Amino acid sequence: MEESNSRTTPLPWWAAGLLLGLVQVLAIALVGPMGVSKPFVDTDVKVLNSVAPEYSEKHPLLSDEQYKDFGYGWWFNIGIVLGACFAALHLRVWKIRTISAWWRRNHDAPALLRLIAGFCGGVLILLGAGLAYGCITGQFFGGWAQLSLSAIPFTITLFGFGMLAAYIVYPKTPNRLEEED
Amino acid sequence: MASPVVGIIMGVIFGASLVLAGLTNPDRIIGALRLKDFHAIRTVVFFVLVAMLGTWILGLFGAANLSIKPAVVLSVMIGGALIGIGLGLTGFSPATSLASAASGRIDALITVVGMIFGAHVYILIYPSVVVRLEKIFNFGNVTLPELTGVSAGIWVLSIFVAGSLVLLITWSMQPRFGEADLGVKGAFPASTDSQTVAGGMGLLLRSDYIKAAYVFRRWKNLLFLVMLLCLLLNQASFWLVITGQVEISGNTNFDAPVVAGADNTRAGQTTPEEGSGSFMLFGYNVTFGLLSSIMRVTSIILILASAFYALIMSFGMSVSFKGGLGGLNHICGALYMALIIFVLLMPWQAFFGPLVLGATYTTQELIRWSTTDISDNFTMVLFYLRFSGYLALILLLLILTQLRSLRWVRAIKAVSREDDRNPNP
Repeated sequence: MEESNSRTTPLPWWAAGLLLGLVQVLAIALVGPMGVSKPFVDTDVKVLNSVAPEYSEKHPLLSDEQYKDFGYGWWFNIGIVLGACFAALHLRVWKIRTISAWWRRNHDAPALLRLIAGFCGGVLILLGAGLAYGCITGQFFGGWAQLSLSAIPFTITLFGFGMLAAYIVYPKTPNRLEEED
Repeated sequence: MASPVVGIIMGVIFGASLVLAGLTNPDRIIGALRLKDFHAIRTVVFFVLVAMLGTWILGLFGAANLSIKPAVVLSVMIGGALIGIGLGLTGFSPATSLASAASGRIDALITVVGMIFGAHVYILIYPSVVVRLEKIFNFGNVTLPELTGVSAGIWVLSIFVAGSLVLLITWSMQPRFGEADLGVKGAFPASTDSQTVAGGMGLLLRSDYIKAAYVFRRWKNLLFLVMLLCLLLNQASFWLVITGQVEISGNTNFDAPVVAGADNTRAGQTTPEEGSGSFMLFGYNVTFGLLSSIMRVTSIILILASAFYALIMSFGMSVSFKGGLGGLNHICGALYMALIIFVLLMPWQAFFGPLVLGATYTTQELIRWSTTDISDNFTMVLFYLRFSGYLALILLLLILTQLRSLRWVRAIKAVSREDDRNPNP
């Protein structure tokens, strides 16, 4: 029973989309559009300001006051971790896993390669989020909600390169999504 | 209001929603990028549509706290490409990697570590790369309504229609592995139905599918007739004006583009006056005001009807596929042509200026062209192509679509007859 639960999507697409959309609307009504990537930069700025204060003073980003704020965004990310952990435990889907079904179907290599790919992907994602002035949550979801011009070029390259990368890394389709390791 | 407590509460709700939506599963994301699993695509599209509509409504009441990102096009495109590659490689976005790591995924946790390192790389290259990129193609913190001058309502409506079409197209497409394998609770009961039908064991069920297809056929034919009538009315109005039967009258501000039927008529724009240069038809006084209203209304109906026409084709394709009724190639062809008709009918000139023309036009556009000197052959050809030839092309496409869909109906009728002949296979 738990095996099947762990592969279950609790909500159908329309309910999931509606829920996420309403969360975004609530965020815009209360504070502003949701964003996840900036607190990562804030954290690094905090560390570098402590480790290398002289270098930080001359650096245009490290000396920028808006990156020294450990306020709403940082706590928002903490909240994501707490909320997801709570939901996963409540739904009984919390489980240690390393490999996905698509990875297993396409790569015989051990889990270590998946972790290396994850690390490299993480570097690219945050570097890209910095250059794009926002990640998928801030620039794509937030951008389209506000009808901002920047959402259009972002969407085009995000999905264009995303599909290309997925096609190169995962050319074979799994017959069915087995439970991850 | 942006206190840590609000941050934590919003984060908890968002994180839990991501898990509930199934977006923390990297297989869902990779499946979506490979166009093999449409759950994530549908969820994301619906997410965007609901958020956009909600934000627009909040904006009407002045309750939206907006934060527009700068449109530094080159930088945003490079950033989007890098995130895309990362997403395609890992199946995680920053938000889902955090939520997924909290659900026990080690690979997501390593991705989060990679993101912290990525932030470090961003800080290092900031003075040398980012500062320079900021100066290239920087349009500032601008929104689409501000850039185009078209009201936010029109943008919301257009994106909503486009998003709804994506939802319908993905809805009608069965994933390569059934959603039952993907674990969507209660989804796709039809997958077992279609297997039953394909196995020739569910004639009653197939009869139901055939009846459903006939319902769609009736709606399809009705919409075809509506569109045909609108096209003819629109062209009749155009030719009455252009042949001088009804004289153009009234003042119009030509500088601001106005979408037909939009509620953004501005100061200085007046509807043409009625009463001058009219002619009698069956005892009824036909004025330019009446004709401009007909053109406006028919344009709106044409766009809406073409969207529903494509929608019906999509439903027909879905029923045909799930019921094993045949004629899929014909209904697919008809669907694509219906989508082309919809795209061509949209008033793109209102969004992108005169370089991208949609088939529907406004009265203002017609008056502007009519009052311009079109004595040289080239301009005259352009004029008639714009206002008559374009809609003739739409008419041609519409007839071809209808003929193609008729072949689909014939295929279903053949299946129906076959079932009647062999009630016990």
